[in-house]
Amino acid sequence: MECTTVDIQHTEPRDNTPSRRGFLALAAAAGAATALGGLPAFTASAAPLRPTDSPMLSPADAAKNQLWWQAPGSSHSMIEQGLPVGNGRLGALASNDPSSELLVITDATLWTGGPNDKLQSDGQFPYGRDDFGSLTLLAKLTVAIPDHDLGNVNNYRRTLDLAQGLVSTSYDIAGVTYRRQIFASRPDDAIVVYFSQQGGGSYTGTVSLAGTHGESTTANSAGRYASFGATFANGLKYGAAVTAYSSTGRVRVDGTSIAFSGCKDLTVVVSGGTNYAPDAAAKFRDPSVVPERLARTKVLTAAGHSASTLLHTHVADFRAVFGQLDINLGTSSVAQRELDTWERVQARHRDDVPDPELEAAYLQFGRYLMISGSRGSLPMGLQGPWLDGNDPDWMADYHTDINIQMNYWMADRAGLSDCFDAFTDYCLAQLPSWTDVTQRLFNDSTNRYRNSSDKIAGWTVAISTNPYGGGGWWWHPAGNAWLCQSLFEHYEYTQDGAYLKKIYPLLKGAVEFWEARLITTTVTDASGASREVLIADSDWSPEQGPLDAKGITYAQELVWNLFGNYRTATAVLAKDTAYGKTVDGLRRRLYLPVVSPKTGWLEEWMSPDNLGETTHRHLSPLIGLFPGDRIRPDDSTPKDILDGATALLTARGMNSFGWANAWRSLCWARLKNAEKAYQLVVNNLRPSVNGSNGSAMNLFDIYEVESGRGIFQIDANFGTPAAIVEMLVYSRPGHIELLPAVPAAWAASGSVSGVGVRGGFVADLSWKNGKVTRATLTSVGGSSTTVVANGASRKISLKPGESVTLRGLA
Amino acid sequence: MRSSSYFAMPGAAQRSGRRSIRAVLVLALTAGVATAVPAAQADTNAPAPPPDTTPIAAKPYMGWSSWSMQSSKYPGLNPDGDYSYLTEANVLKQTDALAAKLKKYGYDHVNIDAGWWMDKNWKTGFDQYGRQTPDPVRFPHGMKSVADHIHSKGLKAGIYLPVGLEKGAYGDGKVPIWNAAGCTTADVVYSDLRTTNGWDNAYKLNFDNPCAQKYIDSQAQQFAGWGYDFLKLDGVGPGSFKSGDNYNNVPDVAAWQKAIASAGRPIHLELSWSLDIGHAADWKKYSNGWRIDTDVECYCNTLVTWENSVDDRWDDAPAWSNKAGPGGWNDLDAIDVGNGEMDGLTKAERQSYMTLWAINKSPLFTGDDLTRLDSYGVSLLTNKEVIAVDQNDSPVARPVTPVGDQQVWGTKNADGSYTVALFNLGDSPASVTAHWASFGFTGNASVRDLWNKANLGTYKNKITEALPAHGSRLFTIKSDGSTPTTTSYEAEDPANTLSGNASIAGCDDCSGGKKVGNLYLGGKLRFNDITVKKDGIYTVKVAYVSGDPRSVTVFSNSGNGTSEKFPSTGDWSTAETVSVQLALKAGTNTITFDSGNGYAPDIDRIVVPQSV
Repeated sequence: MECTTVDIQHTEPRDNTPSRRGFLALAAAAGAATALGGLPAFTASAAPLRPTDSPMLSPADAAKNQLWWQAPGSSHSMIEQGLPVGNGRLGALASNDPSSELLVITDATLWTGGPNDKLQSDGQFPYGRDDFGSLTLLAKLTVAIPDHDLGNVNNYRRTLDLAQGLVSTSYDIAGVTYRRQIFASRPDDAIVVYFSQQGGGSYTGTVSLAGTHGESTTANSAGRYASFGATFANGLKYGAAVTAYSSTGRVRVDGTSIAFSGCKDLTVVVSGGTNYAPDAAAKFRDPSVVPERLARTKVLTAAGHSASTLLHTHVADFRAVFGQLDINLGTSSVAQRELDTWERVQARHRDDVPDPELEAAYLQFGRYLMISGSRGSLPMGLQGPWLDGNDPDWMADYHTDINIQMNYWMADRAGLSDCFDAFTDYCLAQLPSWTDVTQRLFNDSTNRYRNSSDKIAGWTVAISTNPYGGGGWWWHPAGNAWLCQSLFEHYEYTQDGAYLKKIYPLLKGAVEFWEARLITTTVTDASGASREVLIADSDWSPEQGPLDAKGITYAQELVWNLFGNYRTATAVLAKDTAYGKTVDGLRRRLYLPVVSPKTGWLEEWMSPDNLGETTHRHLSPLIGLFPGDRIRPDDSTPKDILDGATALLTARGMNSFGWANAWRSLCWARLKNAEKAYQLVVNNLRPSVNGSNGSAMNLFDIYEVESGRGIFQIDANFGTPAAIVEMLVYSRPGHIELLPAVPAAWAASGSVSGVGVRGGFVADLSWKNGKVTRATLTSVGGSSTTVVANGASRKISLKPGESVTLRGLA
Repeated sequence: MRSSSYFAMPGAAQRSGRRSIRAVLVLALTAGVATAVPAAQADTNAPAPPPDTTPIAAKPYMGWSSWSMQSSKYPGLNPDGDYSYLTEANVLKQTDALAAKLKKYGYDHVNIDAGWWMDKNWKTGFDQYGRQTPDPVRFPHGMKSVADHIHSKGLKAGIYLPVGLEKGAYGDGKVPIWNAAGCTTADVVYSDLRTTNGWDNAYKLNFDNPCAQKYIDSQAQQFAGWGYDFLKLDGVGPGSFKSGDNYNNVPDVAAWQKAIASAGRPIHLELSWSLDIGHAADWKKYSNGWRIDTDVECYCNTLVTWENSVDDRWDDAPAWSNKAGPGGWNDLDAIDVGNGEMDGLTKAERQSYMTLWAINKSPLFTGDDLTRLDSYGVSLLTNKEVIAVDQNDSPVARPVTPVGDQQVWGTKNADGSYTVALFNLGDSPASVTAHWASFGFTGNASVRDLWNKANLGTYKNKITEALPAHGSRLFTIKSDGSTPTTTSYEAEDPANTLSGNASIAGCDDCSGGKKVGNLYLGGKLRFNDITVKKDGIYTVKVAYVSGDPRSVTVFSNSGNGTSEKFPSTGDWSTAETVSVQLALKAGTNTITFDSGNGYAPDIDRIVVPQSV
């Protein structure tokens, strides 16, 4: 490696950097971010502190992170056309129809089902909406304004303001400009719809709140609210409430609705939740919570404030998080900027002309969803808290064989480290149940995946998991290792010892499971030498190939990763040193995959034969390439392994489901093939037509279940941004590469700040003509690392809070 | 009319498809000659009001027709069985309502549709000369009395006949023809009694025998005598879902024109239904209007539905756009927008329905119950600016974009402004953009919103509006007059690359006299040297020829393109233009038309602005 001319400047901690720290300070002042990672539940909350100064961005600054459309969504197609808001627990899709604003509202904890701990006759788990359960809708809120028929409005526009967490709609009727703003406030734990106008207009109509499970809404004239409450068959209590108020006109209860007339402005506040508690010992319930009553309290408390106070409190909270990453991939053309988001997605595909601002906005949209969907409650499953009905495909559950992991690949990379906590908290809360179920049921004689040794220890999961400690569908022995891979990686980003201590039981339990499960076999190396190795017992390489394959690459790689991470944990925490040595021994004996002489691919099944679909969506055998680091395009990896992995990735193809494209993109980024990585990002930006794979009008990723039927699956909305970041920054503890795979479309000039780096740093960088021009590394807990930029490397050492800026790199 | 299955296939009506439910009259008309009607009435020669001196069909006619309510199963409309709505009392009631509410807007025809000579059981009645004679229960005072009442309100009276000699009139061939010595019904038809019309319920007239013309004359004389101003001739072929010699009713239509000319009273002759566009010249020559499509009515619990078959017209009308003009118009069928509940349409659908009819200069005759119009329906039927779009001298509008779910149609008006309609035929709200460049200008233009009766101000280069599902907007656009500099590229230019079966063909209507055709199953046309000055998204005009609506994938450079459906140009020799949006980069570009796995239109040329 060439000797560098890197210019190192040690600087002060970046507290006064306005772009990021300013907002954090603001949030702290607002008291908004109360204990991220605290108890994820619908509970009474302390009154939020209100910002004294307006946190609102100027219109010009806000425009940098806005998506916009020139037509409302259809109430029949909310999942593709509704705009999402969320406060980390409550999620809603809004139609933005002038004459009928519809919000379909989901609470992340509104799950049917239960522990589901009776196996079917095949030794696997039931997977139905009553036994395993499903995420379901909480409520539908409708604000009808009959005079505002879309046929009469001009200059309709709705905007999703990603930086401020705000959906806005404006339109003109007969010289009056009407505007509505919708936001889901975490500090006030409610969704607010604020109607205003300029030009002498007014609003007349009704607010209706309806359950989706046959609940009866009642309204209270004196209290000017409407609410409902009910209990599921599984004992989960839930409820929702709405209130409305105006400075003018008349607002009153009419039947079970709230009627308003002649109102120059109108504020509608809705909230709701359940008595779910993330506590296995309490059977996942908090008996002290009466959801309907709590919802009423929350909306009436919020209604004690003006809409602008609620808005400012929300924006102060939201901006603080959003502002932690800024990205510029280049400048789009005037013509592209004139198009609305949906037109732009269509033009991007039609013309195949790069649209760097749209591509950056796709990343920021993913971040918006994560901030809206993963704070202070359950983590996001297949759809996050955005449903349009009560029968979401695959229950909108947690799939542990790629999907939940992919959801959170982006969090640390894209400056949303705190949003990862929901995932950690979930695993911690489920661990007692997972351990109990594993130890009672995994070795059941009917389970084809049981440990043939009859030994059992630790915990694992099924392919699907629910929030009640239950598994669904089939056992997934290596699922524990993959969950631990994600959980440990979060430690690598944060270097937070307290966090590592918290997840240590998860790591150790998974290690113990594998210690019990690994079996010995003898293999013959290419050289002809025989050796005894440890391999995973009978298993299924996720979702394809034989059901009873031993030593699948997926499991071998994950266990190799798990044992390694565990050893790091024992070292950092100075715990279980003796057991750690045992684990070292196991790891040394682990079989690792070879390249098939028949196909030239890295083997998936410990067999030279291709036993599955060549272009299968999962990249399970490439888990050592991404998210793992065992296979790397450097001298650490034997060339044949690297070539075999590349050949397998090539064979998997460039066109699959959104999440599968995202994973492919991440793998190509790791292989430094910028153009392939970029093409896969672009493929996910294809407009979805009649349910085809691609992006819906609202940029939700659509998964084509069958011809003509596409469903929303959120993982690509997170996996694709992760890939965008991975193209700009690669990191593993002790090693950072800047612009490892920047495509021509973004090379001209750009910048990104706030990228999380494994090893405990945050990176900011700028580039021109594909070369890094400036980079700043800030320690958030890391001490030293190597930074590679423009082909040169440099070692840096920092104390937590310190920054270093590298200049003169080009 | 489109007959229902009431007699032929009870209960199978609306699900049985359009062709199968036409059997009706075949069965219905076996009744033979009815004798109930006093002959004197038919020959009454009481003076009718003086004929209007305005040329027939100088503008698309406007008015009311009985068929929509007759054909509907809407509760209460037809209490005495199917089609029983048609009675003297109901016609008079609608006449009075028309006169009171809509006449001042130009609605002046009261058209009696099928059944005036049939009893409740749809049994036909004829006079001693084999002419249809009013059913005494439906029309106790005869047809003249009705016409007189209509005229007394300052309105025009319309009546209806199927084409051919109805089987029931044949009377064993012995029925004498009125005012035609020596002619009987046997002389007016072919000896093999070959049948004709859309229901095969009539014998085909044989005009080789002068008696056939005499028979038509006798019917025309009778209508003139009764004072009728309008005749709808139904089941006419080629058309009415029929083709072949027996269904070629061009001679019938010509005979009717001749008969009317000598009947002593101007009578508007309107043809129905789904007339064959290949005979458009005949229809223009001999008639004053022709139904381009099947019935708009749904034969269901409402008058119409969007899918059955209002929405068909967007696909079917463009082929006919250059066939219409003073003297003869493209008839899109009844405009049933007056009462949302009865119509079975949303507000947005009703507005779009009226908009399409107006820009196509279709006759505007409503089939609604004029005594029960709702206020929105009145606003649709009486918007003077929209009616003017229908009645003015501009050419019939055409789509200026490909015809997907979102479409822009337009036409240039005599004053240089443009009438522009936006449509969203999709099932969700959508934005629709009209680019001024599609009309050949750029820069600022003022926009008048005809439906909302408002000036929206000045818009630069384009206007975008949010439209509800199945919604529309209708504007008058006045440009400040700037015209972009464009370059035209001929499809037949040797610099282009043709692949697959694509080949150059002659085309008189095309620029350069040539086009590129045979774009099917992989056939491609690539323009190689499209040069522009700046990167941007351009409005590229495509002149093309397509005898039916066809799709082609259009893309620039390495783009993936979009499959675009081009509206029919009516035949394979007429060129029309639509515009597509494509990104072009400064310098040289390619633009490709790829038939993919389908059949694409022939391409004449493209016209590209030199800069954005």
